[in-house]
Amino acid sequence: MTNHWVDFKNSDVILIMGSNPASNHPVSWKWIQHAVDNRGSKVICVDPRFTQSASKAHLYAPLRSGTDIAFLGGMIKYIIDNKLYFEEYVKNYTNAAFLVNPAFKLPGDNKGVFSGFTNGKYEKDTWSYQTDGAGVIRKDPTMKNPNCVFQLLKKHYSRYTPQLVSKICGTPVDKLIEVYKLYGSTGRPDRAGVDLYAMGWTQHTVGTQNIRTMCMIQLLLGNMGVAGGGVAAMRGESNVQGSTDHGLLFHIWPGYLGTPSGSLATLKAYNEKRTPKTKEANSLNWWKNFPKYSASFLRSMYGMNMGLEEAYAALPKVDDGANYSWLSLFDQMYKGKFTGFFAWGMNPACSGAHSNKVRQALGKVDWMVNVNLFDNETGSFWRGPGMDPAKIKTEVFMLPCAASIEKEGSIANSGRLQQWRYKAVNPVGDSLPDGDIMSEIFFKVKELYEKKGGPHKEAITRLTWPYGKMAGKHFHYDPRKVAAEINGFFLADKKVENPTKKGEFKEFKKGDLVPTFAWLQDDGSTSSGCWVYCGSVTADKGILPMRRDTADPTGLGLTPGWAWSWPVNRRIIYNGASVDLNGKPWDPSRAVISWNGEKWTGDVPDGAGDPGKGRPPFIMKPDGVASLYGPGLADGPFPEHYEPLECPVEKNLLSPQKNNPVIKRFDKPGVGSDLDVYSNVGTCDPRFPFICSTYRVSEHWQTGVLTRWCPWLAEMQPGMFVEIGTELAKEKGIKNGDRCIVSSARGEVECSAIVTPRFKPFDIDGNMIHEIGIPWHFGWITTKDRTYSPGDKKAEVFTHGDSANLLVPTIGDANTMIPESKAFMANVAKKGVK
Amino acid sequence: MQKGYVQVTDSYERILHWMLAISCLLLCVTGLGMMFQTFNFIGYLFGGLKSLKLVHNFTGLVFAASLILVIRMWWKEAGVFVFPEDLEWIKVAGGYLWHVDKVPETGKYNPGQKLFFLTVVGAGILMIITGLIMWFPTALPAGLVRWMYPLHALGFVAIFAFFFIHLYLGTIGNPGTVPAMLTGWMDRAVLKKQHPGWLKEMEHEGKLVVYGEEKKSGAHGHHA
Amino acid sequence: MTEKIKLYDDSKCTACRGCQLACKQWNALAASQTENRGTYQNPPSLNANTFLLIHYQDYVDKEGNVKWLFRKEACMHCTDAACVTVCPSGALHYNKATGTVGLDHDKCIGCKECVAACPFEIPRWDAATDKVYKCDMCESRIMNNMEPACVKACPTGALSWGPKEKMLKIAAKRVEKLGGNATTYGDKYVKGTHFMYVLKENPAIYADIHKDPSVPLSVTLWKGLLKPLSLLAAGGVLGGAFLHYMIHGPKYPDLPKDENTEGGK
Ligand code: SF4
Ligand code: SF4
Ligand code: SF4
Ligand code: SF4
Repeated sequence: MTNHWVDFKNSDVILIMGSNPASNHPVSWKWIQHAVDNRGSKVICVDPRFTQSASKAHLYAPLRSGTDIAFLGGMIKYIIDNKLYFEEYVKNYTNAAFLVNPAFKLPGDNKGVFSGFTNGKYEKDTWSYQTDGAGVIRKDPTMKNPNCVFQLLKKHYSRYTPQLVSKICGTPVDKLIEVYKLYGSTGRPDRAGVDLYAMGWTQHTVGTQNIRTMCMIQLLLGNMGVAGGGVAAMRGESNVQGSTDHGLLFHIWPGYLGTPSGSLATLKAYNEKRTPKTKEANSLNWWKNFPKYSASFLRSMYGMNMGLEEAYAALPKVDDGANYSWLSLFDQMYKGKFTGFFAWGMNPACSGAHSNKVRQALGKVDWMVNVNLFDNETGSFWRGPGMDPAKIKTEVFMLPCAASIEKEGSIANSGRLQQWRYKAVNPVGDSLPDGDIMSEIFFKVKELYEKKGGPHKEAITRLTWPYGKMAGKHFHYDPRKVAAEINGFFLADKKVENPTKKGEFKEFKKGDLVPTFAWLQDDGSTSSGCWVYCGSVTADKGILPMRRDTADPTGLGLTPGWAWSWPVNRRIIYNGASVDLNGKPWDPSRAVISWNGEKWTGDVPDGAGDPGKGRPPFIMKPDGVASLYGPGLADGPFPEHYEPLECPVEKNLLSPQKNNPVIKRFDKPGVGSDLDVYSNVGTCDPRFPFICSTYRVSEHWQTGVLTRWCPWLAEMQPGMFVEIGTELAKEKGIKNGDRCIVSSARGEVECSAIVTPRFKPFDIDGNMIHEIGIPWHFGWITTKDRTYSPGDKKAEVFTHGDSANLLVPTIGDANTMIPESKAFMANVAKKGVK
Repeated sequence: MQKGYVQVTDSYERILHWMLAISCLLLCVTGLGMMFQTFNFIGYLFGGLKSLKLVHNFTGLVFAASLILVIRMWWKEAGVFVFPEDLEWIKVAGGYLWHVDKVPETGKYNPGQKLFFLTVVGAGILMIITGLIMWFPTALPAGLVRWMYPLHALGFVAIFAFFFIHLYLGTIGNPGTVPAMLTGWMDRAVLKKQHPGWLKEMEHEGKLVVYGEEKKSGAHGHHA
Repeated sequence: MTEKIKLYDDSKCTACRGCQLACKQWNALAASQTENRGTYQNPPSLNANTFLLIHYQDYVDKEGNVKWLFRKEACMHCTDAACVTVCPSGALHYNKATGTVGLDHDKCIGCKECVAACPFEIPRWDAATDKVYKCDMCESRIMNNMEPACVKACPTGALSWGPKEKMLKIAAKRVEKLGGNATTYGDKYVKGTHFMYVLKENPAIYADIHKDPSVPLSVTLWKGLLKPLSLLAAGGVLGGAFLHYMIHGPKYPDLPKDENTEGGK
């Protein structure tokens, strides 16, 4: 999230699209309601299904799953056509005026793809900017040049007429216009709008571009960096933000430092490649500090046990061009490429797209360690439905771990707010905090390497692990020590120039905490486990995430004394864009920062130099401005509508290119496996005529591995259901409450039918297209009819049905490989009826 | 037992009568304990209101069973009015309320007793039905169940009133009738005055059992 | 006494069911085995272990607009509470501090009179304990200056708790703001309830809502008329008998005095 949860209260228009916060982020509605009650704000909900959020929205518009870019592209056209954009903002704070290579071609002129498409990939040379002799980007401040970003944008989305969008999305034209008009009203400086999205946007083959389209709208309307604006990625799990920050994903190290690939043999080469350069005179280009962060991270791993280059060499690299995302991992596992596997706080047998393939894959490893609170479908996969335990060689170890209330630590929520949590009760039985388990494993593995040796043994044996001490037989991990390590230390006495005041020096002693990341060094004299968190632990105030001061000086809900948010306790990032070129807030009634003549007050300023000095505020971008034109992505600098891989239409009404051209198809020879089958790709497949989308309910969490065991929650939502529109139910002879089978090309699940007028068929270019929806929280382990061995725990309240992911295809977003679980093709039939 | 006494009731009759009477009394008392919070103290006699409720509910079952048997037993003798004799009797109210010179002849049970019997039967059935519904209120719509309470109370008013009239008339208000229900024997002279019709009939049929005399035939009573 | 009211505003309720869960948790109520019967609503109805139930209802209005209506069902805490009127044991009682209706399970004898009497069909009887259960407005909390658990849990402000006069004003203002068919529900019945609604739609369209609830006539008849009447009858009969005896004397059969017998010799 660019802003934070409380900031919803500052919005004038709240667009709920790609999410259902009323159900899935219930507490967020506190602030939405606050905005409605106190600002008279309007709530828009765009969703294929009339959701709990829709029930509270002022305006609801249905759209077919997987057509968000068409919908939003139409909005961009409307905003431009009706001059609703915030011209001053667009001109100064975005790359709208930049001139693009004249050889660049838009999909409208190039058979549905951007220029440079070859062999299933884009060669991006035509996507570049025009530069002058000195390498400075050429611009047209009038934004009239046909090659400038603004004109290209206008041209690109001129194809997205309301009539065509309506045919693609199934949204009535009048509803489209109503949404466009209302949301477009936030282009005024005194109005702000926010979009709340979640997995409804990410889980598509065009997921990244879905979000980019919204970012572009927010930039056009001047909604980035302002209170009540931004793009709100509502995380589906309280600590997903934290896990992303700390490098849980394969492509990044902690602090969003790209994972090095094999061809980058030295730290020098790595820094060279990853540190962006710019010729823009006023741009701060914050990422120029990259070498400081990479060096500090390496130091946090190996301390002074190794030199920086040595440490860089010790850390694993990814193969060039290889993809290590979830879909690829389980594909490789299915193909027998793995020996062992840790499922740590995860339940891939239910959460993995195409769970049947995942479950098969689990049988191909020699061993698996399942670290969880309860047994789950993953740990017990070998005795799940359709499995023959005698034929499975995988040895499974179950390590029970402590729940969040049984250990100390912190989480970082969607608003980048790191908040400390204390231990309330002791762990049950033999369960241990994850940190303790990890430490034990680490020391054992280290011991083995020391005794027996092995390749890259130093990578393990020379790690620093100063995070705790032995308590009895266990190494007890101390999260406060980890918090300090994440912040970072000076590793040697050093005199450092104040990064914000030239000529002023400060002396640091070895062991001192680094005050903020601006003080981090590239010479190995500092460490920091995750540079964006540097500043979260201080010598005098201790661990700032422990703070509990609710004072709110600005009245915007920034509460700077409550916990701590990265970076540098900034609550609204890009807030440098909330003021005009002279430092005056666009909307003084909602000033995030303001200049009092000497310094900035309000939130911690972001990118704002001294007023009038012309520093562009988006300092994380090399050129200092936000990207309406984004040449960095794999699938194009502008979002373009492509149909979901499995879709109910024969062709893309916008172009001859039906699907996102650069997605990785697992049904291609040599890519996926025998299990990777799709339907409705080329032509429509009458076996699976309905769009299916997965989603969540308030009562369960993720695969339900925690919530299904809670009798109160299981009582409220006891099992798989399928929501079916009244019209479709009539067609299929399904009555409310009937047991149904929902099937796709990959599997089937049993569900109870909820027949409802809240799902309406879509009129897609004259065809009546039905969509159905299923929740994904269930799994066989808590059902009544599975086989139980003596000693097996039984749920107090049984749930019904298995995972929705049994149906989901192995196909991912072109950039992130997030599976397309929000739009695939399925059938529904009454149980026992073909 | 004195000579000349006539056996008017057999033991089965008497046991049933007392089962009914005692259960009825118990129901009245326990019912009152539940109906008025001021009478909650009655609950203490039964070890708490909860057991009071249980006593009431299960006594209700005893009452119901007794009532059914009693109806089967006495219906012929006490359940139907015989005209014109009973009418005559009613006109003078059986001589209970004021002294009359000649009480019209009636059967074993005079119309007063019949009236009492029928009230008990009617109100009793009402109490059983309403009571059972109240016991299992969820089986029927609340709108209906609600009315069981006033009906039950109404039935109570009726039964309670009749019960005490009966008790009064049967004991201090009308000496001599208690033994009939305690021992089963009654003075022939009293009988002659109060139930001349029945006496005649029994004599006529030769069924009369007189103390000291040899039984002429099987004892009268219950033939079920 | 400061009468207090818990207000539910369905126009703010997202049906997140935080309240339903909080109620179970605070009151330590067991869950039952349920199944999806074609609705999110579960358990199907209030029961001895469910004092609070969020109702879900699909609704299509005359213009074809789809709505999803939610309603929180729980004891209404009537000012003229039929359940208290009929309760023989005093288990159901008015809370003297707030005017809400408490339930003392130690006293409850499971007679189920309240079950039939309640115009909102709230109290539920449990066979296992032979007692009746319902929301007691979290008496253990409100008597210790805490708000009811459901109110505490509600993220949206759909539930609130406060002094009667204030809440009535808030409700009236909200209705005015919502306009259309919005109305209050509860305040107009049974001399005013201490749990009341602001409903965005016409109350008549909410499924299973009690239209025009009042203390049932049967309860009034019974407790207002028949109860005193039966006392009167009982007293009258006893008194009458006594009088009769005193004035009229017993009726002896016309027999010689010496042959007269008393009791069962
Ligand atoms: S709603 Fe029913 S149970 Fe609650 S106070 Fe009123 S009468 Fe009693
Ligand atoms: S069931 Fe319990 S609470 Fe209800 S009326 Fe009877 S004693 Fe009172
Ligand atoms: S007031 Fe307490 S008992 Fe009543 S519904 Fe709310 S949480 Fe449940
Ligand atoms: S907690 Fe509040 S918003 Fe959630 S269901 Fe209950 S009343 Fe509605």
